[in-house]
Amino acid sequence: MGDMPDTGAAVEVRGLSRAFGLRKALDDVSFSLPAGAFLSIFGPNGAGKTTLVKVLTTLLNPTGGSAKVFGLDVVEDSDELRRHIGLISHNPLLYPDLTAEENLLFFSEMYGISEPERRVRELLVDVELDHRRLDVVRTFSRGMLQRLSIARALLHKPEVLFLDEPYSGLDPHAMDILDNLIGSIRGDHTFVMISHDLDKGLELCSHALILASGRVVMFEPRSAIDEAAFRETYRATVGTGVS
Amino acid sequence: MPGLSMRQFRAILKKDIVMELRTKEMITSMGLYAILTMVVYQVALAEAGENFDVRLVMPGLIWVAFIFMSMLGLNRSFVHEKDQGCLDALLLAPIDRPVIFLSKSVGNLLFLLVVEALSLPVFAFLFLQGKEGIGNPIWMIALVLFGASIGIAGVGTLLATISVNTSGKDIMLAVLFVPLEYPLLRAAVGATFAAVIGGPGTMTAFWGWMAWIAAFDVIMVAVAYGLYEFVIGA
Repeated sequence: MGDMPDTGAAVEVRGLSRAFGLRKALDDVSFSLPAGAFLSIFGPNGAGKTTLVKVLTTLLNPTGGSAKVFGLDVVEDSDELRRHIGLISHNPLLYPDLTAEENLLFFSEMYGISEPERRVRELLVDVELDHRRLDVVRTFSRGMLQRLSIARALLHKPEVLFLDEPYSGLDPHAMDILDNLIGSIRGDHTFVMISHDLDKGLELCSHALILASGRVVMFEPRSAIDEAAFRETYRATVGTGVS
Repeated sequence: MPGLSMRQFRAILKKDIVMELRTKEMITSMGLYAILTMVVYQVALAEAGENFDVRLVMPGLIWVAFIFMSMLGLNRSFVHEKDQGCLDALLLAPIDRPVIFLSKSVGNLLFLLVVEALSLPVFAFLFLQGKEGIGNPIWMIALVLFGASIGIAGVGTLLATISVNTSGKDIMLAVLFVPLEYPLLRAAVGATFAAVIGGPGTMTAFWGWMAWIAAFDVIMVAVAYGLYEFVIGA
């Protein structure tokens, strides 16, 4: 993958807005996340969490403000930025009628990966799905889909990984596997994770952000967070709901 | 097309073909629709009498069946992409959006041509058995099918991309598709009529309609190609 501009912040968001018609899903959102950090984003349903991740992953254009990932603007440099980011969602983002191997080979071609067969085999071993590589994805359990989804997101060795409720619907065993996978790559990546699970989000994060009605209610490094006060703010935010 | 774009084009086309060979969803639904439509036509014309020259209405019947059949297939071609967020995964990749348009259009064109090639003999069996055959060589009909299918697949791929993101996607595609394809449909019926009837003067009419089809293909596919980045990112 190509070189990224050398900037201090991995993710730099300034006055970011995104409107759908008259409704503002994001309203003047600003924060700065250092490289190697793990940001957990919390907030009630409809707070704008998924919209924020969609803007940062170039799937949606902002209607105001700016967002940069390692210095690459999400609008101006979207093509280049896509080479450096990966997304793991609660949706597997995989073709159900292709096999595990075919899915990964397909996405390898999308990223222009050299020696795709070797990379795919390596990742299938990492996510413990090598024995199911020739099975169509439609037959996979939720946990297996999520592991394969992680392999898809890591194919091109992205520097920043976005996780949209990755633990949603996983059984405890699958959650352990996901924990181990995240732990094994944590040192080399910057993470941005949406979570409804306060315990899990706080356990993993180096920074925490609470969104409500598209606005930042709180953004703090984990070390500066008083957990009781944070939980109280979160409960109050969820309680107020969204506009 | 640069190296990476060519790899991406081939990969998307191959993926669509593999998935279709595995599920046969598009070809089965389109083929079944075409054949059932023809059976209904046969019933509708049952009382037309022995002397009725079915060749006079055959071009119109064929293209009505093919236009509605192609809408069915085009809708399905993007349902796969929306399933489980696959379209998002595709858009997350560093891929020029027109490459997605070209590969999806070529895939849709292939599937349309396969179903057309399979259903035309059924049509001939149901309507032309024991009657006067078509007046001009069969390659002329093949040429009309190929030319018109390019326009249907190209414009249809753009419209299917728009409609797949709307709540009433089946209706939305029909509402957009039929008016936009009207000039192509008119030319396809005209060219097919000239090919089927035969006789003096039909070759001039045939090539006139074919020029219309070619112009539609070039202009509309170029417009669809140009608009695709905006449409898929909207």
